[in-house]
Amino acid sequence: MTRVVGQPVIRSDAWRKVTGASYYTVDVTLPAMLVGKLLRSPYAHARIVHMDISRARQVPGVAAVVAGNGRASPWGGHIWDQPVLPADVVRYRGEPLVAVAAESEAAAEEALRLVEVVYEALPSVFDPEQAMEPGAPLLHPQMMEYWRNEAVCRPIPGTNAVNRTRFRVGSVTTGFSEAAAVVEATFTVPGIEHVTLEPTAAVAWWERDDRLTVWTSTQCPFVVRDQLAHVVGLPLHKVRVIVPDVGGGFGGKGNMRIEPYAALLSRECHRPVKMVHSRYEEFVGSTIGHPAKIRIKLGATRDGVLTAIQTTAFYDTGAYGDSGEMVSWQGGLGGAGPYRVPHVAIDSYAVYTNKVPAGAFRGMGWPQMLFAIESAIDMLSARLQIDPVEFRLKNLLENGDRFVTGEVLESVTLRECLLKAREAIDWDAPTPPNRGRGVALVMKSSVNNSTASAVVKIHEDTTVQLVIGAPEIGQGSHSAMAQIAAEILGVAYDAVEVTNPDTAFSPYDRGAISDRTTFHLGQAVYEAATQARQQLLAAAADWLEANPADLEICEGYVMVKGVPARTAPLAAVARRAYRVKGGPIIGEGRHLEEGIVPLDPLTGQSPKAVSHYKYGAQAVEVEVDRELGMVKVLRVVSVHDCGRAINPIQVSGQIEGAVVQGLGLALWEALQFEDGQVMNPSLMDYHVPMAPEIPEIVPILVECPHPHSPFGVKGIGEPGIIGVAPAVANAVSRAVGIRIFDLPLAPERVLRALQATQGRAR
Amino acid sequence: MTLHLILNGMPVSCECGPSEPLLEVLHERLNVRSPRRGCDDSYCGACSVLLDGQLVHSCTVLAAAFDGSDVVTAEGLMKDGRLHPVQEAFLRHGATQCGYCTAGFLMAAVAVLNESRTPSPNEIANAMRGNICRCTGYQKIVHAIHDVARQGEGGDFA
Ligand code: FES
Ligand code: FES
Repeated sequence: MTRVVGQPVIRSDAWRKVTGASYYTVDVTLPAMLVGKLLRSPYAHARIVHMDISRARQVPGVAAVVAGNGRASPWGGHIWDQPVLPADVVRYRGEPLVAVAAESEAAAEEALRLVEVVYEALPSVFDPEQAMEPGAPLLHPQMMEYWRNEAVCRPIPGTNAVNRTRFRVGSVTTGFSEAAAVVEATFTVPGIEHVTLEPTAAVAWWERDDRLTVWTSTQCPFVVRDQLAHVVGLPLHKVRVIVPDVGGGFGGKGNMRIEPYAALLSRECHRPVKMVHSRYEEFVGSTIGHPAKIRIKLGATRDGVLTAIQTTAFYDTGAYGDSGEMVSWQGGLGGAGPYRVPHVAIDSYAVYTNKVPAGAFRGMGWPQMLFAIESAIDMLSARLQIDPVEFRLKNLLENGDRFVTGEVLESVTLRECLLKAREAIDWDAPTPPNRGRGVALVMKSSVNNSTASAVVKIHEDTTVQLVIGAPEIGQGSHSAMAQIAAEILGVAYDAVEVTNPDTAFSPYDRGAISDRTTFHLGQAVYEAATQARQQLLAAAADWLEANPADLEICEGYVMVKGVPARTAPLAAVARRAYRVKGGPIIGEGRHLEEGIVPLDPLTGQSPKAVSHYKYGAQAVEVEVDRELGMVKVLRVVSVHDCGRAINPIQVSGQIEGAVVQGLGLALWEALQFEDGQVMNPSLMDYHVPMAPEIPEIVPILVECPHPHSPFGVKGIGEPGIIGVAPAVANAVSRAVGIRIFDLPLAPERVLRALQATQGRAR
Repeated sequence: MTLHLILNGMPVSCECGPSEPLLEVLHERLNVRSPRRGCDDSYCGACSVLLDGQLVHSCTVLAAAFDGSDVVTAEGLMKDGRLHPVQEAFLRHGATQCGYCTAGFLMAAVAVLNESRTPSPNEIANAMRGNICRCTGYQKIVHAIHDVARQGEGGDFA
């Protein structure tokens, strides 16, 4: 039995958020603060022949102008391919090349107008598959010279492929020869924008004694610290990253964004510089979710047993890797879906093109991959005239099965999730004309290596400070971590205060990404709280003249088990520790997932590729308007195994929010590019889901505790977005008999497909 | 010019240029931060306030034209140190995540409850058509507001 864990407590930051008391990076104001602005490249690919910033410097009110990469090192995620401000070549429309800091926005803009640049256009390439053809313009001829993390970034020399991740199991030739039916299809997924409501923002202050402090809206303060220190050449203790409240991330704020420009400007003038993206800049100059093109060949026996799958995925990572290598690596893991397939060949590429860099986006490559796989599964089940749920039940991964990495899976709950989804969507009930139901399975890997640490301080009055390095970006992790600490310490949930990250004081954490906070940081918090509890009990044991093992904490008291008379108030124990015995109570915890082995470069085999996998199932009911081509989603059932819900309201909140992003991907969202230019860079032209369009969403939790995590938790931030689009496409297929291969399922596309089938019928 | 407003029930005044949006005046001159800038184009609703009782996107309203007007923001929803029923419902239902959209939704909620005491979930969702939330998926927001409507406790606070 738990006391706090599992309770639907009100999240600790909710009060400040509903009263307008929250404080985001955009609110940070410092004395003598300047405003920073960027000049962005109008070319998709060009050589910078000449640049003159001298007139910009002379504009009244301008305090600093920086250009060229001379004083800053190239940087990146797993490959350091990105100049902070390119000196020689620009590689996408929107790439920053000059930064200005001024007293006013108007002065900064005037200065940018006066920058003279002469470009020489270079041939460019916008399609990832074309970019891999011999003779395609190379974005990074020097790619092999960049520093990179070999474990997840394996470029193909002489091409634009910055990563290839391969999996080989058995022989697909054999597998397809055993198949009675084979489907082959190519699927495409467009680029999408995170649209965090709080735009990218940072304030940097480089003091005269070379101490750099940065306030920023980020998911990963320590990553930003490391990247900043690297590009500006400062040791880590001179770079301090502070994260106020963060207005959403979804993967878009996992690496350094606008921070280095603010830092370089502040280095010039030693005044704080604030930079905030406009919404337009969010579209053209932040990262996006990867456009992808995925080819699938899938075979099964007459009884519907999968025999082979061949998957080739091209993730279009734009001009720089950012996290594209990791996206293609993670997406590649999903290349056979959540299925038991004896013969597998997967090649997953991240490819440079002359477009805005694509990076992490909720789901890390899995939403794209499972759109293709789960659509192909329905095509094959239709070909074999087997019910799609039955077909999945025959083939899905179960406990003890081997994954494409060869690792043996544990705590797999796909069957349970799918059965629950089938029941809740009323799968077998008849549907009226033009209505249909569709399902899709969900799987997602968490990060491979990921370091977390936590400190629990018990104050003299026994209130608790929980110091962690993962920001609260809306996902509710601060309160989940407080629940874990409160549970273990035997104090009330609201006696625990979680501090927003400050790299000078918070212990290291990899950040709020990849569903990792509850799983990884949760283990560190668990350990830190356990240590603090032991210290408390030790202090009390001495006082109560008892063995610590005989003590328990209950409602503000330490008591000797079974002897109600021998108690000591917790607060008195804590105070005594400060003054008399042992010193202040501070518990530390750290966690690093052990035993992770990099994938074999040729076969993708590894005894343990990532920390854990997550499982779920989506089911939807749709109605298609044959006249207008409109797809209306009537209901979504979203079943996920969260291991153990620390806070059921927060878990369902994560699922609902992610499902709606999945609906956006299914029905509306798509960045349109022409010659590498984003053609719809506004919220008017890029449609995110709005309240009146949202169907009923039924989140269902399956709780199969993970054997190695605190209270059995698994991550739950990402899975909800995965599988929504294929479930919708599958439902549309069952409603009106058309198969849509390209997202989103926009009316024009649906109409065209309907007309094509009617044409065939005639 | 000098702009006079009744801001959350208090008379205030400040300097204001002829082309200054209300959002900028609130942020820069009156230090009211709860209306958030999410787009500056009247598409996201994060900057929503009640202006003379009407729900507006303050990023696209010129403040100078509203001298003497009444402005209510999320900062003004609490009464006597107690949360407004809609704020309470947002807490109970988990209707705020990152919170950046929240003040805008609260104002839209107060507006729809003032207009119709008992809006249906559909009417509520429709009334939120000018507000984007990228985190919650809207369901908990609509449920929270509907909860208030059902209990008839919206009141005429604003
Ligand atoms: S900032 Fe006003 S509507 Fe977006
Ligand atoms: S709570 Fe983040 S945008 Fe609504």
